Amino acid sequence: MSDSLVFMMGQFEATFPTDRQYARNHMWARRQDSAYRFGFSAYAVRLLQDVYFLDWIVDPGTQLQQRQEIGSIESKKAEASLYAPIAGRLSAFNPELLDDPSAINVDTYGIGWLFEIRSPILDPPVGDETSGLMSARQYIAYLDQVWVVTQRTIKGQLA
Amino acid sequence: MKPEITVVVSQGPSHDPTKRSREHEIADRLSGRGDLEVLVVPHLNDLRPDGDSLGALRQRTGHLIVFSWLYPRAAHWILDRHRISGQRGTTRLHLDTDGEPSDETSSDPQQEPVERVIDTRTVPTRAIYCIDLRACTSADAVLQEVEHILTETGMRASRSSMAASEGNGSRPWRSIADDIQRRWYPVIDFGRCTNCMECIDFCLFGVYGIDESDTILVEQPDNCRKGCPACSRVCPENAIIFPQHKSPAIAGASSSIDGLKVDLSQLFGKPEPDQHSRQVAQQERDQQLAASANQSSDSSSIAPPSQDAPGRDTSDDTSDGMNDDLDKLINALDQFDL
Repeated sequence: MSDSLVFMMGQFEATFPTDRQYARNHMWARRQDSAYRFGFSAYAVRLLQDVYFLDWIVDPGTQLQQRQEIGSIESKKAEASLYAPIAGRLSAFNPELLDDPSAINVDTYGIGWLFEIRSPILDPPVGDETSGLMSARQYIAYLDQVWVVTQRTIKGQLA
Repeated sequence: MKPEITVVVSQGPSHDPTKRSREHEIADRLSGRGDLEVLVVPHLNDLRPDGDSLGALRQRTGHLIVFSWLYPRAAHWILDRHRISGQRGTTRLHLDTDGEPSDETSSDPQQEPVERVIDTRTVPTRAIYCIDLRACTSADAVLQEVEHILTETGMRASRSSMAASEGNGSRPWRSIADDIQRRWYPVIDFGRCTNCMECIDFCLFGVYGIDESDTILVEQPDNCRKGCPACSRVCPENAIIFPQHKSPAIAGASSSIDGLKVDLSQLFGKPEPDQHSRQVAQQERDQQLAASANQSSDSSSIAPPSQDAPGRDTSDDTSDGMNDDLDKLINALDQFDL
Protein backbone atom coordinates (compact mmCIF):
# COMPACT_ATOMS: atom_id res chain seq x y z
CA MET A 1 0.00 0.00 0.00
CA SER A 2 1.10 3.54 -0.54
CA ASP A 3 2.17 5.85 2.25
CA SER A 4 -0.01 6.42 5.21
CA LEU A 5 -0.15 8.71 8.19
CA VAL A 6 -0.75 7.55 11.74
CA PHE A 7 -2.94 8.95 14.48
CA MET A 8 -2.57 7.51 17.98
CA MET A 9 -5.87 6.62 19.64
CA GLY A 10 -4.44 5.86 23.03
CA GLN A 11 -2.14 2.92 22.37
CA PHE A 12 -3.81 2.14 19.06
CA GLU A 13 -2.19 3.22 15.81
CA ALA A 14 -4.89 4.29 13.38
CA THR A 15 -3.44 4.55 9.88
CA PHE A 16 -4.70 6.73 7.06
CA PRO A 17 -3.45 6.13 3.51
CA THR A 18 -2.48 9.33 1.76
CA ASP A 19 -3.78 8.12 -1.61
CA ARG A 20 -7.30 9.27 -0.79
CA GLN A 21 -9.35 11.93 0.98
CA TYR A 22 -11.42 11.94 4.15
CA ALA A 23 -14.82 13.27 5.17
CA ARG A 24 -15.64 14.81 8.52
CA ASN A 25 -17.92 11.91 9.37
CA HIS A 26 -14.91 9.61 9.44
CA MET A 27 -15.16 8.03 6.03
CA TRP A 28 -12.44 7.85 3.44
CA ALA A 29 -13.21 8.92 -0.13
CA ARG A 30 -11.49 7.80 -3.27
CA ARG A 31 -12.25 9.02 -6.75
CA GLN A 32 -13.52 6.28 -9.12
CA ASP A 33 -14.42 7.74 -12.52
CA SER A 34 -17.31 10.13 -11.93
CA ALA A 35 -18.03 9.00 -8.39
CA TYR A 36 -16.41 8.90 -5.00
CA ARG A 37 -16.11 5.55 -3.28
CA PHE A 38 -16.48 5.74 0.50
CA GLY A 39 -15.53 3.51 3.40
CA PHE A 40 -14.91 3.84 7.11
CA SER A 41 -11.65 5.35 8.24
CA ALA A 42 -9.51 3.37 10.67
CA TYR A 43 -10.64 5.83 13.33
CA ALA A 44 -14.30 4.85 12.85
CA VAL A 45 -13.53 1.13 12.68
CA ARG A 46 -11.52 1.30 15.89
CA LEU A 47 -14.48 2.86 17.69
CA LEU A 48 -16.97 0.41 16.19
CA GLN A 49 -14.86 -2.74 16.47
CA ASP A 50 -16.42 -5.90 14.98
CA VAL A 51 -19.22 -4.95 12.60
CA TYR A 52 -22.19 -7.30 12.77
CA PHE A 53 -24.82 -5.67 10.67
CA LEU A 54 -25.20 -3.00 8.07
CA ASP A 55 -28.51 -1.79 6.74
CA TRP A 56 -29.23 0.80 4.04
CA ILE A 57 -32.50 2.68 3.94
CA VAL A 58 -32.06 4.32 0.55
CA ASP A 59 -31.84 2.71 -2.86
CA PRO A 60 -29.11 3.15 -5.44
CA GLY A 61 -30.04 6.05 -7.69
CA THR A 62 -31.26 8.21 -4.82
CA GLN A 63 -30.25 11.85 -4.91
CA LEU A 64 -28.75 12.52 -1.49
CA GLN A 65 -28.34 15.70 0.42
CA GLN A 66 -25.25 15.99 2.53
CA ARG A 67 -25.91 14.43 5.94
CA GLN A 68 -29.12 12.76 4.87
CA GLU A 69 -29.65 9.55 6.82
CA ILE A 70 -28.84 6.58 4.62
CA GLY A 71 -28.63 3.58 6.91
CA SER A 72 -27.42 2.13 10.15
CA ILE A 73 -24.72 -0.06 11.54
CA GLU A 74 -24.45 -2.38 14.48
CA SER A 75 -21.14 -3.53 15.87
CA LYS A 76 -19.80 -5.20 18.95
CA LYS A 77 -19.46 -1.88 20.71
CA ALA A 78 -21.90 0.49 19.12
CA GLU A 79 -24.97 1.24 17.13
CA ALA A 80 -25.19 4.22 14.84
CA SER A 81 -27.16 5.75 12.06
CA LEU A 82 -25.15 6.58 8.97
CA TYR A 83 -25.33 9.78 6.97
CA ALA A 84 -24.27 10.87 3.51
CA PRO A 85 -20.78 12.40 3.70
CA ILE A 86 -21.41 14.56 0.62
CA ALA A 87 -24.33 15.46 -1.62
CA GLY A 88 -24.80 13.56 -4.86
CA ARG A 89 -26.48 10.60 -6.47
CA LEU A 90 -25.88 7.35 -4.70
CA SER A 91 -24.67 4.99 -7.40
CA ALA A 92 -23.85 1.74 -5.59
CA PHE A 93 -23.59 -0.07 -2.30
CA ASN A 94 -20.91 -2.67 -1.80
CA PRO A 95 -22.94 -5.84 -2.41
CA GLU A 96 -20.42 -8.03 -0.58
CA LEU A 97 -21.20 -6.37 2.73
CA LEU A 98 -24.92 -7.04 2.73
CA ASP A 99 -24.61 -10.67 3.72
CA ASP A 100 -21.44 -10.35 5.69
CA PRO A 101 -20.12 -6.97 6.77
CA SER A 102 -16.94 -8.34 8.31
CA ALA A 103 -14.84 -7.11 5.37
CA ILE A 104 -15.07 -3.70 7.03
CA ASN A 105 -12.89 -5.04 9.82
CA VAL A 106 -10.65 -7.11 7.58
CA ASP A 107 -9.86 -4.49 4.95
CA THR A 108 -11.58 -1.19 5.52
CA TYR A 109 -9.54 0.64 2.88
CA GLY A 110 -10.12 -2.02 0.21
CA ILE A 111 -12.82 -4.66 -0.09
CA GLY A 112 -14.60 -3.19 2.93
CA TRP A 113 -15.75 -0.12 1.00
CA LEU A 114 -19.32 1.00 1.71
CA PHE A 115 -20.89 2.92 -1.18
CA GLU A 116 -20.28 5.24 -4.10
CA ILE A 117 -21.73 8.68 -4.66
CA ARG A 118 -21.61 10.46 -8.02
CA SER A 119 -20.44 13.97 -7.56
CA PRO A 120 -18.27 16.55 -9.25
CA ILE A 121 -14.75 16.73 -7.88
CA LEU A 122 -14.89 18.49 -4.53
CA ASP A 123 -12.32 21.04 -3.52
CA PRO A 124 -10.56 20.59 -0.22
CA PRO A 125 -12.31 22.49 2.56
CA VAL A 126 -11.28 26.02 3.33
CA GLY A 127 -11.54 27.39 6.86
CA ASP A 128 -14.47 25.78 8.64
CA GLU A 129 -16.29 24.73 5.49
CA THR A 130 -17.82 21.30 6.14
CA SER A 131 -18.80 20.16 2.66
CA GLY A 132 -15.36 19.42 1.26
CA LEU A 133 -13.11 16.40 1.57
CA MET A 134 -9.87 16.60 3.47
CA SER A 135 -6.41 15.27 2.75
CA ALA A 136 -5.05 12.67 5.16
CA ARG A 137 -2.98 15.41 6.77
CA GLN A 138 -5.99 17.71 7.21
CA TYR A 139 -8.01 14.80 8.57
CA ILE A 140 -5.42 14.01 11.21
CA ALA A 141 -5.37 17.64 12.27
CA TYR A 142 -9.15 17.38 12.56
CA LEU A 143 -8.85 14.18 14.64
CA ASP A 144 -6.47 16.03 16.94
CA GLN A 145 -9.29 18.45 17.66
CA VAL A 146 -12.06 15.90 18.16
CA TRP A 147 -10.36 12.93 19.82
CA VAL A 148 -10.66 14.18 23.38
CA VAL A 149 -14.30 15.08 22.94
CA THR A 150 -15.06 11.73 21.31
CA GLN A 151 -13.58 9.89 24.26
CA ARG A 152 -15.56 11.99 26.67
CA THR A 153 -18.75 11.39 24.72
CA ILE A 154 -18.29 7.65 24.74
CA LYS A 155 -17.36 7.54 28.39
CA GLY A 156 -20.31 9.78 29.16
CA GLN A 157 -22.68 7.30 27.51
CA LEU A 158 -21.15 4.36 29.27
CA ALA A 159 -21.22 5.97 32.68
CA MET B 1 -51.94 -34.49 19.35
CA LYS B 2 -51.56 -30.92 18.17
CA PRO B 3 -49.52 -28.91 20.65
CA GLU B 4 -51.50 -26.17 22.24
CA ILE B 5 -48.57 -23.93 22.85
CA THR B 6 -46.06 -23.07 20.19
CA VAL B 7 -42.85 -21.25 20.90
CA VAL B 8 -41.52 -19.16 18.03
CA VAL B 9 -37.94 -17.93 18.02
CA SER B 10 -37.54 -15.27 15.35
CA GLN B 11 -33.92 -14.72 14.42
CA GLY B 12 -32.45 -11.27 14.06
CA PRO B 13 -31.03 -10.05 10.74
CA SER B 14 -27.68 -9.34 12.35
CA HIS B 15 -24.62 -11.56 12.27
CA ASP B 16 -23.93 -10.88 15.90
CA PRO B 17 -22.72 -14.24 17.27
CA THR B 18 -23.99 -13.44 20.76
CA LYS B 19 -27.49 -12.99 19.33
CA ARG B 20 -27.34 -16.22 17.36
CA SER B 21 -26.20 -18.16 20.39
CA ARG B 22 -28.95 -16.64 22.53
CA GLU B 23 -31.55 -17.68 19.94
CA HIS B 24 -30.19 -21.20 19.79
CA GLU B 25 -29.84 -21.59 23.52
CA ILE B 26 -33.45 -20.59 24.06
CA ALA B 27 -34.65 -22.91 21.30
CA ASP B 28 -32.56 -25.76 22.70
CA ARG B 29 -33.63 -25.31 26.28
CA LEU B 30 -37.31 -24.96 25.48
CA SER B 31 -37.43 -27.87 23.08
CA GLY B 32 -35.53 -29.87 25.69
CA ARG B 33 -38.56 -29.66 27.95
CA GLY B 34 -40.37 -32.02 25.62
CA ASP B 35 -43.82 -30.47 26.02
CA LEU B 36 -43.49 -27.53 23.66
CA GLU B 37 -43.32 -27.18 19.92
CA VAL B 38 -40.46 -24.85 19.04
CA LEU B 39 -40.22 -23.19 15.64
CA VAL B 40 -37.26 -21.07 14.58
CA VAL B 41 -38.11 -18.57 11.84
CA PRO B 42 -36.27 -15.66 10.20
CA HIS B 43 -36.69 -12.05 11.32
CA LEU B 44 -40.39 -11.40 11.88
CA ASN B 45 -40.23 -8.01 10.21
CA ASP B 46 -38.92 -9.44 6.96
CA LEU B 47 -41.24 -12.43 6.50
CA ARG B 48 -43.29 -12.47 3.33
CA PRO B 49 -47.05 -12.83 3.74
CA ASP B 50 -47.07 -15.90 1.50
CA GLY B 51 -43.92 -17.45 2.96
CA ASP B 52 -43.63 -20.75 4.79
CA SER B 53 -43.01 -19.19 8.20
CA LEU B 54 -46.19 -17.15 8.35
CA GLY B 55 -48.06 -20.03 6.75
CA ALA B 56 -46.94 -22.31 9.56
CA LEU B 57 -47.83 -19.74 12.20
CA ARG B 58 -51.29 -19.23 10.75
CA GLN B 59 -51.94 -22.94 11.20
CA ARG B 60 -51.17 -22.74 14.92
CA THR B 61 -54.37 -21.83 16.70
CA GLY B 62 -53.16 -22.41 20.25
CA HIS B 63 -51.27 -19.99 22.44
CA LEU B 64 -48.08 -18.53 21.03
CA ILE B 65 -44.92 -17.43 22.77
CA VAL B 66 -42.93 -15.37 20.31
CA PHE B 67 -39.33 -14.36 20.89
CA SER B 68 -37.94 -11.71 18.53
CA TRP B 69 -35.46 -8.86 18.41
CA LEU B 70 -38.33 -6.43 18.30
CA TYR B 71 -40.36 -4.54 20.82
CA PRO B 72 -43.29 -6.71 21.90
CA ARG B 73 -45.79 -4.19 20.53
CA ALA B 74 -44.10 -4.28 17.14
CA ALA B 75 -44.02 -8.07 17.07
CA HIS B 76 -47.65 -8.36 18.16
CA TRP B 77 -48.98 -6.02 15.51
CA ILE B 78 -46.82 -7.47 12.75
CA LEU B 79 -48.41 -10.83 13.50
CA ASP B 80 -51.85 -9.24 13.67
CA ARG B 81 -51.36 -7.74 10.21
CA HIS B 82 -50.74 -11.26 8.96
CA ARG B 83 -53.97 -12.51 10.51
CA ILE B 84 -52.22 -14.11 13.45
CA SER B 85 -54.20 -12.52 16.24
CA GLY B 86 -54.86 -13.11 19.87
CA GLN B 87 -54.97 -11.51 23.28
CA ARG B 88 -51.77 -9.78 24.24
CA GLY B 89 -50.08 -11.74 26.97
CA THR B 90 -48.20 -9.83 29.61
CA THR B 91 -44.68 -10.97 30.18
CA ARG B 92 -42.42 -10.07 33.06
CA LEU B 93 -39.44 -10.23 30.74
CA HIS B 94 -39.04 -6.83 29.21
CA LEU B 95 -36.32 -4.25 28.88
CA ASP B 96 -36.11 -2.35 32.15
CA THR B 97 -37.06 0.87 30.51
CA ASP B 98 -39.78 -0.55 28.27
CA GLY B 99 -43.06 -0.08 30.08
CA GLU B 100 -45.63 -2.72 30.87
CA PRO B 101 -47.84 -3.45 27.89
CA SER B 102 -50.94 -3.20 30.01
CA ASP B 103 -50.36 0.52 30.52
CA GLU B 104 -50.63 1.36 26.93
CA THR B 105 -54.19 1.19 25.90
CA SER B 106 -55.60 2.76 29.00
CA SER B 107 -56.58 6.26 28.05
CA ASP B 108 -56.36 9.23 30.34
CA PRO B 109 -59.11 8.82 32.95
CA GLN B 110 -59.89 12.56 32.74
CA GLN B 111 -60.75 12.25 29.09
CA GLU B 112 -63.89 10.94 27.48
CA PRO B 113 -63.21 7.31 26.68
CA VAL B 114 -62.14 7.07 23.08
CA GLU B 115 -63.10 4.12 20.97
CA ARG B 116 -60.10 2.25 19.67
CA VAL B 117 -60.23 0.05 16.63
CA ILE B 118 -59.58 -2.98 18.81
CA ASP B 119 -62.84 -2.31 20.67
CA THR B 120 -64.75 -2.93 17.46
CA ARG B 121 -63.09 -6.24 16.72
CA THR B 122 -63.47 -9.77 17.87
CA VAL B 123 -60.06 -11.02 18.85
CA PRO B 124 -59.52 -14.77 19.33
CA THR B 125 -59.23 -15.78 22.96
CA ARG B 126 -55.90 -17.51 22.57
CA ALA B 127 -52.97 -15.57 23.98
CA ILE B 128 -49.90 -14.32 22.16
CA TYR B 129 -46.94 -13.54 24.37
CA CYS B 130 -44.33 -11.48 22.55
CA ILE B 131 -40.99 -11.34 24.28
CA ASP B 132 -38.10 -9.07 23.37
CA LEU B 133 -34.94 -11.15 22.99
CA ARG B 134 -32.93 -8.13 24.15
CA ALA B 135 -34.54 -8.67 27.54
CA CYS B 136 -33.67 -12.37 27.61
CA THR B 137 -30.24 -12.09 29.15
CA SER B 138 -30.41 -15.45 30.87
CA ALA B 139 -31.81 -18.71 29.55
CA ASP B 140 -32.85 -19.68 33.07
CA ALA B 141 -35.00 -16.59 33.34
CA VAL B 142 -36.58 -17.44 29.99
CA LEU B 143 -37.40 -20.95 31.17
CA GLN B 144 -38.91 -19.59 34.35
CA GLU B 145 -40.99 -17.11 32.41
CA VAL B 146 -42.26 -19.79 30.05
CA GLU B 147 -43.15 -21.91 33.07
CA HIS B 148 -45.06 -18.92 34.44
CA ILE B 149 -46.90 -18.47 31.15
CA LEU B 150 -47.84 -22.14 31.07
CA THR B 151 -49.29 -21.80 34.55
CA GLU B 152 -51.10 -18.60 33.63
CA THR B 153 -52.70 -20.13 30.55
CA GLY B 154 -53.56 -23.33 32.37
CA MET B 155 -51.37 -25.19 29.93
CA ARG B 156 -48.86 -26.39 32.40
CA ALA B 157 -47.72 -29.89 31.63
CA SER B 158 -48.58 -32.27 34.43
CA ARG B 159 -45.86 -33.54 36.73
CA SER B 160 -46.12 -37.04 35.34
CA SER B 161 -45.80 -36.00 31.74
CA MET B 162 -42.89 -33.76 32.68
CA ALA B 163 -41.22 -36.71 34.33
CA ALA B 164 -41.96 -38.92 31.38
CA SER B 165 -40.43 -36.39 29.08
CA GLU B 166 -37.13 -36.37 30.86
CA GLY B 167 -34.41 -38.27 29.14
CA ASN B 168 -35.86 -39.28 25.81
CA GLY B 169 -38.78 -36.91 25.49
CA SER B 170 -37.14 -33.83 24.09
CA ARG B 171 -38.34 -32.72 20.69
CA PRO B 172 -35.85 -31.02 18.42
CA TRP B 173 -36.84 -27.56 17.34
CA ARG B 174 -37.72 -27.01 13.73
CA SER B 175 -36.26 -24.27 11.63
CA ILE B 176 -38.24 -22.76 8.78
CA ALA B 177 -36.01 -21.16 6.16
CA ASP B 178 -37.87 -18.53 4.18
CA ASP B 179 -36.36 -16.66 1.32
CA ILE B 180 -36.43 -13.20 2.82
CA GLN B 181 -35.26 -9.71 2.03
CA ARG B 182 -35.08 -6.68 4.27
CA ARG B 183 -38.44 -4.91 4.46
CA TRP B 184 -39.48 -1.50 5.69
CA TYR B 185 -43.10 -0.69 6.48
CA PRO B 186 -45.41 0.56 9.22
CA VAL B 187 -47.71 -1.52 11.36
CA ILE B 188 -50.70 -0.13 13.19
CA ASP B 189 -51.28 -0.74 16.88
CA PHE B 190 -55.06 -1.12 16.84
CA GLY B 191 -55.05 -0.95 20.60
CA ARG B 192 -54.22 2.73 20.13
CA CYS B 193 -55.57 3.58 16.69
CA THR B 194 -58.85 5.52 16.62
CA ASN B 195 -59.33 5.28 12.87
CA CYS B 196 -58.88 9.04 12.51
CA MET B 197 -57.36 8.72 9.01
CA GLU B 198 -54.59 11.28 9.54
CA CYS B 199 -52.08 8.77 8.21
CA ILE B 200 -53.90 7.98 5.00
CA ASP B 201 -54.27 11.70 4.33
CA PHE B 202 -50.63 12.32 5.04
CA CYS B 203 -48.91 9.47 3.22
CA LEU B 204 -48.35 10.19 -0.44
CA PHE B 205 -47.18 6.74 -1.40
CA GLY B 206 -50.38 4.73 -1.15
CA VAL B 207 -49.30 2.64 1.80
CA TYR B 208 -52.59 2.95 3.64
CA GLY B 209 -56.00 1.75 2.62
CA ILE B 210 -59.39 1.03 4.07
CA ASP B 211 -60.86 -2.40 4.65
CA GLU B 212 -64.43 -3.53 4.05
CA SER B 213 -65.51 -2.22 7.43
CA ASP B 214 -64.06 1.25 6.74
CA THR B 215 -61.12 0.72 9.02
CA ILE B 216 -57.62 1.90 8.23
CA LEU B 217 -55.09 -0.72 7.26
CA VAL B 218 -51.59 -0.96 5.89
CA GLU B 219 -52.62 -2.08 2.45
CA GLN B 220 -49.40 -1.81 0.43
CA PRO B 221 -46.58 -2.05 2.95
CA ASP B 222 -43.90 -2.32 0.30
CA ASN B 223 -44.93 1.02 -1.22
CA CYS B 224 -43.42 2.60 1.87
CA ARG B 225 -40.26 4.62 1.36
CA LYS B 226 -37.32 2.97 3.06
CA GLY B 227 -36.25 4.91 6.11
CA CYS B 228 -39.24 7.26 6.06
CA PRO B 229 -41.15 7.14 9.36
CA ALA B 230 -43.02 10.38 8.70
CA CYS B 231 -46.59 9.13 9.16
CA SER B 232 -45.76 7.83 12.63
CA ARG B 233 -44.92 11.36 13.68
CA VAL B 234 -48.29 12.73 12.58
CA CYS B 235 -50.33 9.99 14.23
CA PRO B 236 -52.09 11.65 17.18
CA GLU B 237 -52.23 8.37 19.12
CA ASN B 238 -48.68 7.18 18.42
CA ALA B 239 -50.27 4.08 16.98
CA ILE B 240 -47.95 3.69 13.99
CA ILE B 241 -44.92 1.54 14.55
CA PHE B 242 -41.95 1.17 12.22
CA PRO B 243 -40.43 -2.00 13.65
CA GLN B 244 -37.05 -1.31 12.09
CA HIS B 245 -36.71 2.34 13.06
CA LYS B 246 -33.79 3.19 15.30
CA SER B 247 -35.77 5.43 17.60
CA PRO B 248 -37.40 3.28 20.31
CA ALA B 249 -40.54 5.42 20.41
CA ILE B 250 -41.15 4.79 16.70
CA ALA B 251 -40.01 1.16 16.79
CA GLY B 252 -42.69 0.24 19.31
CA ALA B 253 -41.21 0.78 22.76
CA SER B 254 -43.90 1.48 25.31
CA SER B 255 -41.82 4.33 26.59
CA SER B 256 -38.57 5.66 25.33
CA ILE B 257 -35.48 3.73 26.28
CA ASP B 258 -31.78 4.15 25.93
CA GLY B 259 -29.83 1.90 23.65
CA LEU B 260 -27.80 -0.84 25.21
CA LYS B 261 -24.78 0.01 23.10
CA VAL B 262 -22.97 3.27 22.58
CA ASP B 263 -24.70 5.44 20.00
CA LEU B 264 -22.11 6.79 17.60
CA SER B 265 -24.62 8.45 15.25
CA GLN B 266 -23.28 11.93 15.93
CA LEU B 267 -19.84 10.77 14.95
CA PHE B 268 -21.20 9.82 11.54
CA GLY B 269 -23.01 13.08 10.98
CA LYS B 270 -26.35 12.97 12.77
CA PRO B 271 -28.02 16.38 12.60
CA GLU B 272 -29.26 18.04 15.75
CA PRO B 273 -32.91 17.48 16.61
CA ASP B 274 -34.17 21.03 16.61
CA GLN B 275 -37.51 20.83 14.87
CA HIS B 276 -41.04 19.98 15.80
CA SER B 277 -42.23 16.56 14.81
CA ARG B 278 -44.78 17.75 12.27
CA GLN B 279 -42.12 19.71 10.43
CA VAL B 280 -39.75 16.79 10.61
CA ALA B 281 -42.45 14.51 9.27
CA GLN B 282 -43.23 16.78 6.33
CA GLN B 283 -39.57 17.11 5.55
CA GLU B 284 -39.02 13.38 5.66
CA ARG B 285 -41.99 12.71 3.45
CA ASP B 286 -41.10 15.43 0.98
CA GLN B 287 -37.52 14.23 0.77
CA GLN B 288 -38.91 10.86 -0.22
CA LEU B 289 -41.20 12.50 -2.74
CA ALA B 290 -38.35 14.45 -4.28
CA ALA B 291 -36.29 11.28 -4.38
CA SER B 292 -39.01 9.32 -6.13
CA ALA B 293 -39.51 12.15 -8.61
CA ASN B 294 -35.81 12.10 -9.36
CA GLN B 295 -35.92 8.39 -9.87
CA SER B 296 -39.00 8.17 -12.04
CA SER B 297 -37.92 10.82 -14.52
CA ASP B 298 -35.72 13.82 -14.87
CA SER B 299 -38.66 16.17 -15.31
CA SER B 300 -40.99 17.33 -12.60
CA SER B 301 -43.82 14.87 -13.02
CA ILE B 302 -44.79 15.07 -9.37
CA ALA B 303 -45.96 18.27 -7.80
CA PRO B 304 -43.32 20.02 -5.73
CA PRO B 305 -43.47 19.46 -2.01
CA SER B 306 -45.50 21.68 0.21
CA GLN B 307 -44.51 24.61 2.36
CA ASP B 308 -40.92 25.15 3.25
CA ALA B 309 -39.92 21.60 2.55
CA PRO B 310 -36.46 20.89 1.25
CA GLY B 311 -36.99 20.21 -2.42
CA ARG B 312 -34.35 19.19 -4.83
CA ASP B 313 -32.53 22.50 -5.09
CA THR B 314 -31.60 22.84 -1.46
CA SER B 315 -28.37 20.94 -1.40
CA ASP B 316 -26.67 24.10 -0.19
CA ASP B 317 -29.06 24.58 2.69
CA THR B 318 -27.76 21.63 4.60
CA SER B 319 -24.34 23.07 5.06
CA ASP B 320 -25.57 26.62 5.43
CA GLY B 321 -24.55 27.87 8.84
CA MET B 322 -24.26 24.36 10.16
CA ASN B 323 -21.75 23.82 12.88
CA ASP B 324 -19.85 20.65 13.10
CA ASP B 325 -21.56 18.06 15.27
CA LEU B 326 -18.57 17.71 17.46
CA ASP B 327 -18.46 21.45 18.03
CA LYS B 328 -22.00 21.10 19.29
CA LEU B 329 -20.99 18.19 21.41
CA ILE B 330 -18.34 20.32 23.04
CA ASN B 331 -20.95 22.93 23.88
CA ALA B 332 -23.33 20.32 25.18
CA LEU B 333 -20.68 18.56 27.19
CA ASP B 334 -19.48 21.76 28.81
CA GLN B 335 -22.94 22.28 30.24
CA PHE B 336 -22.83 18.87 31.85
CA ASP B 337 -19.67 19.59 33.79
CA LEU B 338 -18.08 16.20 33.15
